[in-house]
Amino acid sequence: MNLQLLISGVSMGIVYGLIAMGMVLIFRSVGIMNFAQGEFLMFGGYFCYTYNQIFGLPIVVSLILASLSMGVVGVLFMRSSYWPLRKAQAKAIIVSAMGASIAFKEGARLIWGSIPVSMDRVVEGTVKVGTASVQWQHIAIIATSAVIMVAVYLLLEKTFIGNIMQATAQDQYMASLTGIPVVFSIGLTFALSAMITGVGGGLLAPIFFLNNVMGATAGSKAFAAIVIGGFGSVQGAIIGGLIVGLVESFGGAYISSTYQLVLIYVVLIAILMIRPQGIFGEKIQEKA
Amino acid sequence: MKKVTALLMAALLVFSLAGCGQKEEAESKGEEKKTTEAAKAETEAAREETSGSPGESGEASGDPIKIGLTTVLTGDRSLEGQYASNAVELIEEEINGAGGVLGRPVEVVIEDALGTDVGAVNAYRKLAADEDIVAIIGPDSSNDGMAQSPSALEFEILTTAQGSSPTLRDMCNNDNEWLFQLRACDETLCAALIKYAVEDMGLESFAILHDTETSSADQARLFTEALAAYDIEPEVVVPFTTGTKDFSSQIAQVQNSGAEAIIGAAFQTEAAILVTQIRSMGMDVPILGSNAFADPVTIQLAGDATDDVYCASAWVPNTPNPKGNAFAAKYQETYGEECGKAAAQIYDHVSIICEAIERAGSTDRAAVRDAMNTIDSYEGAITTYDCRTNGDCGRGGLLVRVQDQKAEIIAQITSEKVID
Repeated sequence: MNLQLLISGVSMGIVYGLIAMGMVLIFRSVGIMNFAQGEFLMFGGYFCYTYNQIFGLPIVVSLILASLSMGVVGVLFMRSSYWPLRKAQAKAIIVSAMGASIAFKEGARLIWGSIPVSMDRVVEGTVKVGTASVQWQHIAIIATSAVIMVAVYLLLEKTFIGNIMQATAQDQYMASLTGIPVVFSIGLTFALSAMITGVGGGLLAPIFFLNNVMGATAGSKAFAAIVIGGFGSVQGAIIGGLIVGLVESFGGAYISSTYQLVLIYVVLIAILMIRPQGIFGEKIQEKA
Repeated sequence: MKKVTALLMAALLVFSLAGCGQKEEAESKGEEKKTTEAAKAETEAAREETSGSPGESGEASGDPIKIGLTTVLTGDRSLEGQYASNAVELIEEEINGAGGVLGRPVEVVIEDALGTDVGAVNAYRKLAADEDIVAIIGPDSSNDGMAQSPSALEFEILTTAQGSSPTLRDMCNNDNEWLFQLRACDETLCAALIKYAVEDMGLESFAILHDTETSSADQARLFTEALAAYDIEPEVVVPFTTGTKDFSSQIAQVQNSGAEAIIGAAFQTEAAILVTQIRSMGMDVPILGSNAFADPVTIQLAGDATDDVYCASAWVPNTPNPKGNAFAAKYQETYGEECGKAAAQIYDHVSIICEAIERAGSTDRAAVRDAMNTIDSYEGAITTYDCRTNGDCGRGGLLVRVQDQKAEIIAQITSEKVID
């Protein structure tokens, strides 16, 4: 039983980590928490469904195309929901993102309908690991997410484009003075954020099925992961996601299956009491 | 210029997406137009076969008779609204093509109930305030139907409830003469399923997995009570919240309990995920479920995993009921997908309200309500309706077993009408 819970906890946790990582990228770039991130997950799933089930493309090709499509969605989201309000108060941008979240959900319903749908899996079947039965798709989720996380890390830390994105995230004004195209950099960050979250949607949809509200709960758990891991920390988002996944899994089995979400927030509060900045967060000093 | 470019890009993406997603829908709509004429001819023939159908012949004319419908068009439960809207199109076409009601066309006015009790009440009150609305159909949720009850009393308008909870039934029978439950009560269905499991399948130990939303929790309680009639206590009762995706921790508890069978109560998406995960975790035990477990959407999503799922259901598309069968076939032909319970229910609700209006001979709200109480054996698409003396109208359901992704009918369930 424990092995079963561990594997399902890790596979869910790594997806929460993926969504959280997307949120953190945007947070680092523009200082705003994107409350429509869960809808990127849902939209990515629907793109994947469209390529796989309507156009009949193989699932791996569909995942890649869905990811690229989500890049376009990310840029459009930035230009419509963030950019016009960039000089307004943060509250206005947060409300804008919340409105976009509703528009994404109802837009998906209008386009793809209300009937839940499914699509091909990357790998079919289950495998016995000790006493646990694990779906191969869960293993595919863990492996793909890990690869994406490493790729994003390398992109941010080891490439010129990554340096541009980091410079823009640190100080947009200074970055523009040094000739960095800030709009391009922010657009790229939104695109990257939407792409990695969208892939998560395509991977999850075959096992959890796809409807227009699938991103809502996942988004709130990803937010919890960010707070646990530390605002603005990519590695914190991943670790936070894993903690959320494991608390959900083991807490649901041993404490309460009804109050899994409550348990996550209890752990969140406990961690914040011990370490208010989150596990990987840095203390923010007030300027004199 | 940049703003214009951004707007153009957004519009382009939205339209291209709409094009992708609705390609099939557009094709089916095109076919729908082609088949409309043929369908109308079939409809005429079908109506002639059906006793008590409103209208006899000729085209309907004059001001439309309006019937209100509160259903969920947006939000988490919008699947219900999609089925309902499709059914409204079909029933309007059928009734109006056959002469309407009292010689006038019928128009169903739809309001979005949002999937919440507050939304259901607001939608209801908006419809009830329109004096041209003769009767109102409530949403699928018993909870939302009960929330509308005080408004039905206040506006004094015939209201048909789609929910199936016994609390709603008691409300219809004892507290609100304007409210009618047009569906077999869950108490009857749950008891019939447990009776079959214990007496025919010989099962002795059960675990219950249920959603915590009101109707599923209510069904879990009814299953527990039905088991108690055989002196059986569930080995374990494991609740989960709506929207749960990973059921590993819940299923692990069921596995540890050693139960011979699992009883589930949930909506379609959760039911499909639950069944799939139960099977993928290596549990081959029979699954007994609420309505949603044999729903076409659940079967389509979960595929082979639904084999050996047993269900006491109000509706399956391959119902032996001739009227239901004809409607399911027409729905499939028109929309290219199997007809769900929510669609069949709307078909029956509109039909029976039209029958009441015909019997009343007027659109006066009180007269229509009184006429409703004279309906004693109306054959609908789902079941027979008997509304004499109280609001408990729906009389039956189907006991089904899913095999090879088809719901096979084991037996028909009938509950006797209790006349006050």
